[in-house]
Amino acid sequence: MSAALKEKLARLREEGEASIASASTTSELYNVKASLIGRKGALTNILKEIQSLDVSERPEIGSIANELKNHLSRLAEERDEALQLAGSAVPPDFDLTVPGIAPDGGALHPITQMRYDLDDAFRSLGFEIFQENEITSELYAFDNLNFPPDHPARESMDTYWIAGHDSGRGGDRLCLRPHLTGASVRYMRTRKPPYRFVYPGRVYRNETTDARHERAFFQYEALTVDREFPFSAGKVMVKSVLDRVFGSDVPVRMRVGFFPFVEPGFEIDMGCLVCGGSGCGVCKHVGWIEIMPGGTPHPNVLAASGLDPAEFTGFYVNIGLDRLVMMRYGVDDVRLFHSADLRFLSQFK
Amino acid sequence: MKLSLDWIKDYVRLPDGLEVSRLMYDLTMSTVEVEGAENLSDRFKNIVVGVIEEIVPHPNADKLRICRTDIGGGEIKEIVCGGVNLNSGMKTAVAKPGAFVRWHGEGGLVEIKNAKLRGVESYGMICASSEIGLFDLFPFKEEATIMDLSGFDARPGDDIAAVLGLEDVLLEIDNKSLTNRPDLWGHYGIARELSALYDVPLLELPEFSLPSGVGGIKVVIDDPGRCSRYLGVKIDGVSAAKMSSFVIQSRIWRVGMRPINALVDVTNYVMLAVGQPTHAFDSGNIEGGITVRKAGDGERLILLNGKEVSLSPDDLVIADDREAVALAGIMGGVKDSILDDTTSIILEIANFEPIGLRKTAQKHDLRTEASVRYEKGIDPQRADQALKLACSVFASEFPDMNISGCYDNYPRPLERIQIDVSLEWLARRMGKRLDDSEINRFLDRLGFSSEISGDTLRVSPPSWRSTGDISIPDDIMEEVARLHGYENFEPTRITATFERSINQRDMDTERGLREYLSYRCGMQEVFTYPWVRDEYLDAVFSDREGMLEISTPPAPDERFIRSSLLPNLLEAASGNARHLDGFAIYELSQVFFDRNFSAPYDERELLPEQRRRVTGVFVSKDAGVAGLFRRAKGTVEGIQRYVHVEPLSFIQTNRPHWADETVWLNISSLGGESLGEETVIGSLALLSKRSAMLAGIRQSAVIVFDIDVESLVPLRSRTNRYTRLPEYPQVEYDISMLFGEPVKWESVESAALGRRVAPDLVRSVSFIDEYRGRQIPDGKKSITLRLVIGSDKKTLTSDEIEAAAAAVKKRLSKQLGGEIRT
Repeated sequence: MSAALKEKLARLREEGEASIASASTTSELYNVKASLIGRKGALTNILKEIQSLDVSERPEIGSIANELKNHLSRLAEERDEALQLAGSAVPPDFDLTVPGIAPDGGALHPITQMRYDLDDAFRSLGFEIFQENEITSELYAFDNLNFPPDHPARESMDTYWIAGHDSGRGGDRLCLRPHLTGASVRYMRTRKPPYRFVYPGRVYRNETTDARHERAFFQYEALTVDREFPFSAGKVMVKSVLDRVFGSDVPVRMRVGFFPFVEPGFEIDMGCLVCGGSGCGVCKHVGWIEIMPGGTPHPNVLAASGLDPAEFTGFYVNIGLDRLVMMRYGVDDVRLFHSADLRFLSQFK
Repeated sequence: MKLSLDWIKDYVRLPDGLEVSRLMYDLTMSTVEVEGAENLSDRFKNIVVGVIEEIVPHPNADKLRICRTDIGGGEIKEIVCGGVNLNSGMKTAVAKPGAFVRWHGEGGLVEIKNAKLRGVESYGMICASSEIGLFDLFPFKEEATIMDLSGFDARPGDDIAAVLGLEDVLLEIDNKSLTNRPDLWGHYGIARELSALYDVPLLELPEFSLPSGVGGIKVVIDDPGRCSRYLGVKIDGVSAAKMSSFVIQSRIWRVGMRPINALVDVTNYVMLAVGQPTHAFDSGNIEGGITVRKAGDGERLILLNGKEVSLSPDDLVIADDREAVALAGIMGGVKDSILDDTTSIILEIANFEPIGLRKTAQKHDLRTEASVRYEKGIDPQRADQALKLACSVFASEFPDMNISGCYDNYPRPLERIQIDVSLEWLARRMGKRLDDSEINRFLDRLGFSSEISGDTLRVSPPSWRSTGDISIPDDIMEEVARLHGYENFEPTRITATFERSINQRDMDTERGLREYLSYRCGMQEVFTYPWVRDEYLDAVFSDREGMLEISTPPAPDERFIRSSLLPNLLEAASGNARHLDGFAIYELSQVFFDRNFSAPYDERELLPEQRRRVTGVFVSKDAGVAGLFRRAKGTVEGIQRYVHVEPLSFIQTNRPHWADETVWLNISSLGGESLGEETVIGSLALLSKRSAMLAGIRQSAVIVFDIDVESLVPLRSRTNRYTRLPEYPQVEYDISMLFGEPVKWESVESAALGRRVAPDLVRSVSFIDEYRGRQIPDGKKSITLRLVIGSDKKTLTSDEIEAAAAAVKKRLSKQLGGEIRT
């Protein structure tokens, strides 16, 4: 008798384990659990038969039944936890294609971005940054820079002179700076050599504007002055900076060019990044793009800075930021930089 | 400057097999930028000589004819043509299908295709000269005159370009790169440079020996400072009625000048060949001799272009014994230059000083081929080349010509200079030592004489490089280096000594400020011009006090230079408001004042006050003033923390002209205890309704901040402080209370914090929200504040927390009349 009951309990154990394991939802599990060990469940039914057993046999069967109840109950609990953690927190129709919420971000002007890229590149080479006033005098805009007294740039057709301060000469004649180069003399006059510095800023020319010409534009000059600095080292300086800004190995070439404040002067070209040098519309099919003038500071400029030209030399470059940015992004109208038009500026985040 | 390669080859024997692209590259690298090269014959592709065999009427049109035309290769084609000068047996130009022509000489180029004209099939087109770009060489008067090539040795089918000798390459040289090399003006100058670059022979100009001992003309130079040489040649037996030979016409036409008559063409030819301008006077009109003198005050002269100029002693003129006959080096007078019936001329080959000449040209608004060349400075030796060439070309154009007078007044011969260069210096500067013999050879090729003794290289530049271009050792280095080839210098490593790290707080502050505003505050950086339109100045200022002006402004209403960034930012805001409902922009730039002139760098100059400012503009159609103001205020408040500068605070002492009457604050450079007006470094305010209206911004709230960047004091390093994390829990406790409208947050905060004599359980008080609206009585507002309550010593019970909060509520109701919202 007792053996038959044991047999039934053993079968219930097996069936119970299997049906708990196969319950696939918590409500199914609840029903399974009730049918096994609930008040009207299978175990209860089996235990009803315990009355027919001999009293001495009852404790053993009782303890087996108890252990079975605990066992199934624990299994059901484990299964319940597993079922609760399984599956998604949301219904399966959750729409993953809804766009993200954009961070509410502004941006630096694309010219400023380029400027800071160059600042970082030059600072990594140990250059200081220098800024000076935008209104300067003829003395610093022209005289110190070896511009002949009759140079056309000194006339009002080219330079914005300041009314009421435009009749004198030299230090008394004021203008919106037509280039940055004058700043180099200011820097050198107030510091001791050797020098390594950059001086970015905006300059102004009295011009008729169109897609390629602006009255206000941005330049970035770098100057190094030392006792030894052959012009062939200038190429290394230029290339290191361009490599860093464009993130690739940029071919650089120097060819003859003339500017009053350098001797010898160079036009510095970079290999066209659009076509890789094979020739395209951007580089006018020559594979090179004129990117900056440069050269060794003219002895007169060094002298104006209080240096002995026999002792010092150096290398200078003037990078047209507008042009560089136009190349970087394929911008086709230089006037956009001063448009303050957010439809344009917000593209450069 | 346009150059004909064919013409250049008259003067230099270029290396065999030299490609045009190579020549362009070498000139660009070592001398001047060549911007392009055009194969001239490309313009005449598929345009050939045709011989009209037979002309028959067109069945459907009176003015058209059908020309049976031999176009070579045994092909006779029928071509419909409306030419008025058609003749059978005539040689003409036929544009075959595939050629490009300009219909009736107007509009863009059109490709020729087989077409039916009024029902008759026509093969290509018989051309007028204007239709294939040759009007200047084959001019005609009557419309629909077709090109007559009967005078040319040509067979049907020959390419037009070959028949006319137009198989040439035209080089375009960037004029800017010629600025300091006046010796390169003209075909001969470039030929001379090419002979140096390629080390190939320069060919001589045609020889011409002047008859000896001719007098017959006198030249006086009154002002040798402005005219260092004047060569006058009297030539008889010429005629203005004659056209120059086709070769001369064709050459000057190729490089951009129009043939006029033989006399004018030859003077132009000489200028284009050797770069020396010349001028021809009708000798019959020249009374007495030639004098080069200053103009009289108010002296008048009618120029060749019909313009009458009133002169002053600053102007140099050529005069005969009566009056001025030409503005020296710029333009001749209309009365005495070449006239239709001129048969005898005085040819002027002169050298004028560039600076005065340019001033005269500019004063009278005259820029001519001659003045452009003189302005660059021309060496006086060049007159000899011009003389020889002019005489020999005149002789070939006018076989009967006769030189009856010649006078060479050369008061100021060119001074040749010597430059000593140290070879050791040269090697150091180039980063490379070249052989002495190589250096000598380079210089010799360029026409320099040089000799080396010891370390010294003594150089004397040739006459054509003695106009100021070569004057110091650095110039000699450039010559040597470019002949060696810049590409042949290996890059030299840069060496430097390290002394200290770069520490530039002011630069960091400026960048930090920009990055803070852009990246943390969601503002877009913009740049605007330094000049300001009057209408935006009016929106911001009551007058123009303290502003500088440009003497030649970009536009009449943009005379003033900004003393504030705001006007242009308002213009920018107004423009953007057309596309956007809400945005925030700022600019960090300099502003300028007509005051406080000082000499910051050099006592020789006085500069006006110039300061960097940062101005921000927040615009919103939807956000109310209060919300937008809080955003702008938060942006300003965050500067000290995020940009790491000394603290700022808000005071109210001086309302900006453009600010709203109520919503405005000044920004003080002193944190905490704010002082008076002298500490004000900026403002934060709602744009007044009047300013917004004048700036054209409607239906939007505009909040502006404006700060003097140079008054921000960068911290030497970060000043963040560490506070130990609380040991016992702290709770947030929100209180909403009603207050009367006049009650300000500042007093709510201070009442909530209490007097704080002992350590208080209320650790902090913060503003959460302000609310007006339904359920809130008129004249009241609901303020929600958040307390943080906690203790250093233990975990507080809920009774203790409630008691601390109750004390705050009590203070708020007692001191400020606050009522708990129910």
